[in-house]
Amino acid sequence: MLLIEDLQFGYSSQPALNMHFDLRVEDGEVLSLIGPSGSGKSTLLSLIAGFLSASSGRIILDNNDLQALPVAERPVSIVFQQHNLFPHLDLYTNVALGIDPSLRLLPGQIDAVRDALARLGLENMQRRKPGELSGGQRQRVALARALVRRRKILLLDEAFAALGPAMRAELLELVKTLVGEHDMTALLISHQPSDALIASTRTAFICEGRVSMLAPTDELLAAAAPPELRDYLGSQ
Amino acid sequence: MIVSRAIPAGLVLALLALLVLAPMAGLLHLSALPGYEPADLRIWESAYLRRVLYFSIWQALLSTLLSVLPAILVARAFAMQPDLPLRRLLLGLFALPLVVPGVVVVMAVVSVYGSDGWLPLGRSLYGINGILLAHVFFNLPLAVRLLLPLWKMIPQHHWQLGEQLGMNAWQRFRFIEWPMLRETLPGVLLLVFMLCLTSFAVVLTLGGGPRSTTIEVAIYQSLRFDFDPARAVMLALLQLGLCMLVAMLTLKFQRMPEVEIATSAPYRSRRTTLSYVVNLVLIMAATLYVGLPLLSLLIDALQGPVIKMATSAQLWQAFANTLFIGISAALLSVVAGWFLLQYSASLARQGRATGARLVDLAGSIVYVIPPLVIATGMFVLLSPHVDVFDWVYPIVIAINALMGLPFVVRCLGPSIRQSHARYHRLCLSLDLQGWNRFRFIDWPLLRRPLGLAIALVAVLAMGDLGVIALFGSTQTATLPLMIYQQLGAYLISQATVTALLLLLLCLAVFALLERGIGGKADVVN
Repeated sequence: MLLIEDLQFGYSSQPALNMHFDLRVEDGEVLSLIGPSGSGKSTLLSLIAGFLSASSGRIILDNNDLQALPVAERPVSIVFQQHNLFPHLDLYTNVALGIDPSLRLLPGQIDAVRDALARLGLENMQRRKPGELSGGQRQRVALARALVRRRKILLLDEAFAALGPAMRAELLELVKTLVGEHDMTALLISHQPSDALIASTRTAFICEGRVSMLAPTDELLAAAAPPELRDYLGSQ
Repeated sequence: MIVSRAIPAGLVLALLALLVLAPMAGLLHLSALPGYEPADLRIWESAYLRRVLYFSIWQALLSTLLSVLPAILVARAFAMQPDLPLRRLLLGLFALPLVVPGVVVVMAVVSVYGSDGWLPLGRSLYGINGILLAHVFFNLPLAVRLLLPLWKMIPQHHWQLGEQLGMNAWQRFRFIEWPMLRETLPGVLLLVFMLCLTSFAVVLTLGGGPRSTTIEVAIYQSLRFDFDPARAVMLALLQLGLCMLVAMLTLKFQRMPEVEIATSAPYRSRRTTLSYVVNLVLIMAATLYVGLPLLSLLIDALQGPVIKMATSAQLWQAFANTLFIGISAALLSVVAGWFLLQYSASLARQGRATGARLVDLAGSIVYVIPPLVIATGMFVLLSPHVDVFDWVYPIVIAINALMGLPFVVRCLGPSIRQSHARYHRLCLSLDLQGWNRFRFIDWPLLRRPLGLAIALVAVLAMGDLGVIALFGSTQTATLPLMIYQQLGAYLISQATVTALLLLLLCLAVFALLERGIGGKADVVN
């Protein structure tokens, strides 16, 4: 279980916006985060990944506070909307970097890379470069790398935003399956309410640096309040 | 519309062809004349020419490696320290050598490393050592400025991924930085190599002896000292061939960053104290290397005969000549470039990409032809008919304007093309044409690159020593030629004062033109 407790952060460029998060995500759960631009969704993921340091609060996974850990030692994998892959490296190498950046892999680890690519439907593309792939295939490679890393937390920062609806739905289903299979905990940022409906039982609405509402996805999307949520969803 | 743009562009192209091809034809014609066949004309049988060729390539190679390799480390250090105090000021200092004339750099180098300097090298300064010191002074900052934007082009997510995947400094360099650097480095190496290969003022003043003469200087010596035009022709053709070869390689490998590039915010990861200290040491060392000679020159000049020289009519005549040549060449170059670029942008807008590229190329092609080659050709062509020394101003202005054209194309081209691509249809629909279009659309968008182009060409022309040394005399001397003459007469303190005056003139003209024309505010195009 991932527990975010009293986690505070402020950008020096926006002193008025003091972010303050409290959140609980269960094992095997994909929690969707929705909310307006600039509300703090990506900041929350950056705090969990360690790219940003919170001014106070705790990020607890299985009773261990992650705050003191450097980025590389956190049990976290992240998939961004773009620039997940190094364009000059082939798919195999991009995934293998997830195990060891020196690329000195043991035979078992080489098999793990191949298995992950096969699991994501990329078994015949190991030597291709990212530029030869479609957007959906590239995100599959990033997911394959997250799989071989065997980290407990998976962060998806608008990872599928650039894809068409059918491809998005397919990858969201895949994420749900992978999170279940590997007993991970995932946080998914998306601007599409339909994504939350596909991927998540529960969804959090983030507004002005806070978790404004956390509820079952269908309930949250149909809720009459808070007004910021209605404004965000564009419904009356 | 396109026809009205084609006429002035056609005139410019015709003039370009005349200025480039006629001197070349003159050189070729002369080399075929039976009267001009000295014994050492066959290059591979002449020890002198072999030595000159070898030294030209060797000094350019060493200068390039000594400039660019440290520049990679310094640019990286700057990129890794986006919050370094005085970073902007230091980068401003690194822009200085771009506008400082070669002969001023020579004086600055002599001021630090000469017999009476802070770090005296004695006689060994003259020759390869001095040439390398001066070339690195010029080109290390240039390479830093060219390479630094590359780090901004790395997506922030790549840094974050590198950090999450636990990459160490070497792995970050290998997987994130080197792939981007690898694509641009050959272009930067070849550019610096070309600049060092065609360097004139530095080699003439710090080298020039039998053991350290480059082709460029040998051409000058053949004409001015040995009166051997045939050898000058041979050398000019050899230099042209070499430059063409380097230019072809550059075209093959070049992937220079655009003047304005899409940049990601600098990534501020938690770097170690050691890496901070290493970066700081690199930046400080490079800053001292660039700053010390200029500071030393300033101090030496202020201790020199400033008052006596301030009353010298000859000095102020040279000052006026320099200013006149610089401004005239800049205006001529920018007007010619403007017509060419407007025409090429019209062609590009109409889908005639090859035609557009050819027009741009015509404006840039003179870059591969050393000014001394054109000057030599013009000297050979005109000298039987007129006294070339009477025509010094038109000739020097024309050649310097020609040499400035590639810079105009590079500075102005992207903005003009962008303006055409984005606003031409809108302007047509609003019937914005002619003066009104220039006033409301082109000028606000283009004044900044225009200011930069005029300023750059003006200081390049003001600092020119090659062409003026060939055609100039005591009466028509510019400040660079005056410095050279003073050095030749061992009037070092006077030369230092003149160098400071030239430096201040170049800086003032550059700042006035760039700011005056370009304005302060950024216009988002």
